[in-house]
Amino acid sequence: MERGEKGTTQNMRSISYSRVADVATAIATVTADPDAAYLAGGTTKVDMLRIYAEPSQRLVDINDLPINHIELQPDGAVRLGALARMNDVAMSPIVAQRYPLLAEALVLGASAQLRNMASMGGNMLQRTRCSYFRDHEAACNKRVPGSGCSALTGVNRGHAVLGTSEHCIAAHPSDAAVALSALDAVIHVQNRDGHHAYAIDDFFLAPEDTPEREHPLQHGDLITAIEIPPLPMARDSLYLKVRDRESYEFALVSVALALRVEGGAVAEVRMALGGVATKPWRARRAEHALLGRPATHEHFLHAAREETADAVPRSMNGFKIELARRTMVRALETVTARGGTP
Amino acid sequence: MTTIPFTEPLGTAGSCAFSVAGTTENAQDIESLAGAAPAGPARIADRVRRSGQVAQVRPADATRPTAQVRVGARPTGLDVRVGGGVGSSPQRPDGRLKVSGEFAFSSDLWADDMLWGATLRSPYPRAKLTGLDLTAAVALPGVYAVLTAQDVPGRRVYGLEHADQPVLAGTEIRYQGEPIAIVAADHPETARRAASLIKADYEVLAPVTDPDAALLPGSDRVHADRPNLLRHVPIRKGDPAATAPVVVTGEYQVGMQDQAFLGPESGLAVPAEDGGVDLYIATQWLHVDQQQVAACLGLPQEKVRLTLAGVGGAFGAREDLSMQVHACLLALRTGRPVKMVYGREESFFGHVHRHPARLRYEHGADRDGRLVYVKASIVLDGGAYASSTGAVVANAATLGIGPYDVPNVVMDAYGLYTNNPPCGAMRGFGAVQACFAYESQMDRLAAAVGLDPVEVRLRNALTTGDRMPTGQLVEGPAPVAELLRLVRERPQAPAGADFPPGGTANTTRGEGVVRGVGYAIGIKNVCFSEGFDDFATARVRLELVGGRPAALVHTAAAEVGQGLVTVQAQIVRTELGVEQVTIAPADTSVGSAGSSSASRQTYMTGGAVRAACLALRARLAARLTALGRAPSTSDNDKKGPFLSAEEWVGALEAGALEETVEWRHRPTHALDPETGQGDAHVQYAFAAHRATVDVDVELGLVKVVEIATAQDVGKAVNPQAVAGQIQGGTAQGLGLALMEEIQVVDGMVRNPSFTDYLLPTIMDMPPMRLDVLELADPHSPYGLRGVGEPPTISSTPAVVAAIRAATGAALTRVPVRPEHIVGA
Repeated sequence: MERGEKGTTQNMRSISYSRVADVATAIATVTADPDAAYLAGGTTKVDMLRIYAEPSQRLVDINDLPINHIELQPDGAVRLGALARMNDVAMSPIVAQRYPLLAEALVLGASAQLRNMASMGGNMLQRTRCSYFRDHEAACNKRVPGSGCSALTGVNRGHAVLGTSEHCIAAHPSDAAVALSALDAVIHVQNRDGHHAYAIDDFFLAPEDTPEREHPLQHGDLITAIEIPPLPMARDSLYLKVRDRESYEFALVSVALALRVEGGAVAEVRMALGGVATKPWRARRAEHALLGRPATHEHFLHAAREETADAVPRSMNGFKIELARRTMVRALETVTARGGTP
Repeated sequence: MTTIPFTEPLGTAGSCAFSVAGTTENAQDIESLAGAAPAGPARIADRVRRSGQVAQVRPADATRPTAQVRVGARPTGLDVRVGGGVGSSPQRPDGRLKVSGEFAFSSDLWADDMLWGATLRSPYPRAKLTGLDLTAAVALPGVYAVLTAQDVPGRRVYGLEHADQPVLAGTEIRYQGEPIAIVAADHPETARRAASLIKADYEVLAPVTDPDAALLPGSDRVHADRPNLLRHVPIRKGDPAATAPVVVTGEYQVGMQDQAFLGPESGLAVPAEDGGVDLYIATQWLHVDQQQVAACLGLPQEKVRLTLAGVGGAFGAREDLSMQVHACLLALRTGRPVKMVYGREESFFGHVHRHPARLRYEHGADRDGRLVYVKASIVLDGGAYASSTGAVVANAATLGIGPYDVPNVVMDAYGLYTNNPPCGAMRGFGAVQACFAYESQMDRLAAAVGLDPVEVRLRNALTTGDRMPTGQLVEGPAPVAELLRLVRERPQAPAGADFPPGGTANTTRGEGVVRGVGYAIGIKNVCFSEGFDDFATARVRLELVGGRPAALVHTAAAEVGQGLVTVQAQIVRTELGVEQVTIAPADTSVGSAGSSSASRQTYMTGGAVRAACLALRARLAARLTALGRAPSTSDNDKKGPFLSAEEWVGALEAGALEETVEWRHRPTHALDPETGQGDAHVQYAFAAHRATVDVDVELGLVKVVEIATAQDVGKAVNPQAVAGQIQGGTAQGLGLALMEEIQVVDGMVRNPSFTDYLLPTIMDMPPMRLDVLELADPHSPYGLRGVGEPPTISSTPAVVAAIRAATGAALTRVPVRPEHIVGA
């Protein structure tokens, strides 16, 4: 199909490219030019450029920046450089031992080829697979604010049931961000004025009235690192992903879970959902319902129902509510059966 | 990738069976003419040569081990005197090139000074084109031509059965993605940009999208000059009012599957000095392309010359035209070579798909499960243009009750025009949709009478001497019961030996995982039917090269990945005893070979090559006799002599010998338009599947653990290629069962990408167990039976039956999704 008839310039789309070697130069270069953007792994950015979903740009390649390390901090936290590749993080013993749910989410999140290219920082900025977002003939508030949401009455089988608004029901695509959400990760951002740190739950924005705003970053802001606080119980954690195909496919429902059972009761729990929400969805209602209660099927089911109580089904995605409940229960029972934290 | 584990041959008394083991040690030396990749732009001839079309295939080294194959009595008594002949698996000349990435596909074509074409397509499924302003596109530097419907010099429509599809839309837009204008520019990006600069004005209309509604008298017409009913095939056999004590009914749906070939539509048109054009193209049937292109260009056929370029898969999707006329129009207008290559998204709009279907069945049987009658109605959504819908409807109707002997049949199959994407040929061709429905019904019948699913099929199995619902006598082997027994008798896959559904052993538990086993069998016609004049042409030339005999085979048959080039060389080696065989590039300078479809090409072009070889043998014998040198090894059979080295020199030193043969299968006949009676088909082919699945019934996840399949191929001309066809076809059927569907809403395709249109991957295919029967068909070359389609047909219902067995869910629609299993 020929695309780009609407809303794109009718001149040759020129894309310029340069490389930078240090953070300060990168930030200065992009900040100075409103058309500039960072280029890391390029696995999303290049797609977006190709389908005209992003305007003409000056691409500033940041792959030479020294922010690709995976480090264990003195306080037990793990710091992932924003340019660490998904695969490096997944295979890192530091991560795999302490946060298996993150390693699993990364491995299940993309093909080996993509994992080798895609950066952790870029993964936080991954765009939705909503087909209307990628179709220039369709109304989409995320792409063209105010144009409407075609998915509300269209093909919405893959769309969100939690955190939706009448302006957007696009599901957030990332697996890794779901695991990081359960882990209370912190997103570190650098700009011309200094350093900012966002709790991950504040970093991802629900669509509400402004679905075009997916995160609080301003032009020129550069994600430099993702920091994961220590969480001993996460050593026996789980990422459970339900999808239409066994490989290379986005989640219908996913559950990131860390759980500690003590004396038959839930002593500590972190849970987040993917595939069903407009942002990586921290399941706080379920956590609240579980805490201190017996680790039994009935209580797991109750917690799952609590979490999805306000879910809004659309024409084709109502099944996700029940599937999300079952997936939560399965995840809780799986970790409980393993014996919880060693 | 699937594996064929080493298995014990499972021969059955009275049949010739072999099991295929997963060894590649039968590799043989191949000396391809292809050299290293040339630096810089390669010339067309180089590219064509590198596509593997020209290759010398050396025979097998007899000292190497061959595949684990056990063949019973050879049905045709072949006496293979040189290696690499019929029944062996010589290495494919294109195999190494494809694996190493050196094979030149049609998208790699290059000519110096060429331009690039691009297409403007309609964003709406139904509209009137009210205005077209080309000014900005023409003004763009680098643009050489912008053409619309007004610029088509010849016939403005084309089509396989009915010429109803515009080369470029005039005023009526009938499907999303319909081509409106084409552009040639000196850079592909410039061409695409110019297309986007064309200002098209539309009056958008409500599309006709529901095929059932399209049948109603009040429906809008997709084509103003004809009704929406494109074809109705009724079949009436026996008593239409027959009744039975046991009745099962069902309504089934099949989603729109895509052929999903990996090589997108592409080709290169080169204007010629005689005012004609040479087109290098990936297609399934050069001559039918040539006829349509010439008519649209207003040129005599001889001025439109086609050469096959490297084909990256077909599966039916290359039987209709895509960019052929467009590239030629642009080349003739600009006087420059023009290349067109679709991207993946455009490809979804560039070819026809498998017809979505709604199928309503009623089976009546006695209490022992013997069928008394079948009543069925099949509605196939043909989309905006006819393509091959008519033939697909006939297949669905004539094969629509499956390989069963049923005394009373009332069958009606309908093909409809709608404003949905055009549908046409895809592997299985009407038989796929029907098989999902009739096999689902057989399972319902089994449950209703309390029989095992295989047993109810055995009690109704078609066999030699039975008559089809069309009245056609089933001649030759029809081993329906034997195929079912073979898959049933295969040892069951061990439980728990594999990863659980979902693929991640560390994240799911076994408690909710239930095993299910399902069976299905299907029937397919081979070759073209209903009185079509179906023929293939082959030219074989024998000459001395370096003092030794060499054969050159020239046909127009399309190698689409199935291994036809290899098979042609095998046949020549078997029939003539010549080791050095070269297969010339397929082009239109030789007569038509017909399409690489309908599982027909080994039968037809293989038959033509064989016939040409036999004619050459007669001439060789005549020459030797004239020289007073009676052939030394005459074995007095119809195949004539094999010659000694000295005799070859004697026979050929007077000059080359060449034979061109136009070869036909026995004639078929039209169906009676009222009763559907008639001997419409040439040959029937059968395959059975047993699918074993593990289903996580709580989460709706399916893991196909193993597939056992049995198929009668008559003669395995190339056992390794047979195994490849069976595995690939089965994978395509599994894809339809579990994930493959083009989502169309209001006439709009919602998932035109391989991210959103899901294909089975290496993770999704289970190990396969193959039984291959060789029961010769007395009418076909070597007794062979078409191989390519049957595996696709019965694999889908077998997988779904297995999921039903595990879950108890009704599952009346494919593909089956997790929500259908969890019932949420």
